[in-house]
Amino acid sequence: MGKTLQNNMRRLRFDHNEMTQQELADRIGVTRQTVNAIELGKYSPSLEVAFQIADVFGVPLDEVFQYGNSTRSRT
Amino acid sequence: MSSIFYIYSMSFREKSAWISFYCLGLFTILWLTHVARVEFFRAPDNPMLWFLGTLLAVTALEIGLHVWVAIQSPREARTPKDERERLIDMKASRVAFYVLLVGAFASIGTIHIPGTNRFTMVQCLMGSILTALLTRFATQIVLHRRDA
Repeated sequence: MGKTLQNNMRRLRFDHNEMTQQELADRIGVTRQTVNAIELGKYSPSLEVAFQIADVFGVPLDEVFQYGNSTRSRT
Repeated sequence: MSSIFYIYSMSFREKSAWISFYCLGLFTILWLTHVARVEFFRAPDNPMLWFLGTLLAVTALEIGLHVWVAIQSPREARTPKDERERLIDMKASRVAFYVLLVGAFASIGTIHIPGTNRFTMVQCLMGSILTALLTRFATQIVLHRRDA
């Protein structure tokens, strides 16, 4: 099984007053569809966007994204 | 019913790709009909007048549809393309480039077919351009639905 980029964005959004995908998208300057694609692991963001997401949640990058074995297959 | 939700869940860029795909598809059908009329029925026609007229009509339709979609979601329409959308554009253009390349070489190859003339060659080239553009928009739609 190959390693993939995983994330905790859904949980972090929930922890931040149930922030919507649209709110997060507006704050990092991407579309809601892009946030959804990142969250589902269908799209790996650039380093800049990844840091922006971590900055919005006020946590280190490795708390948002992890690189490891995934049980979910990439579409 | 699910198709209504499907349309509402689309981004502005995806709707734009669908509009361009349908408008170009319409133009391609009209163009094929025109070529068949000229080639097989020898219809007396001014090709340039037909081409410009149809192109203007389809372009006006496409602009109108884009304006309508932009009115539905003005904020998305104003937002510049993000990195994922730019990547989708690049991937779609890359696929379309190969289609155009094959089509262009095939069009050049028509000079070796007995009985063909410049008209056939030009129409083959036109067909290649339209196929490449249709491929580009179709790839954009597929990538918007899947991933980038």
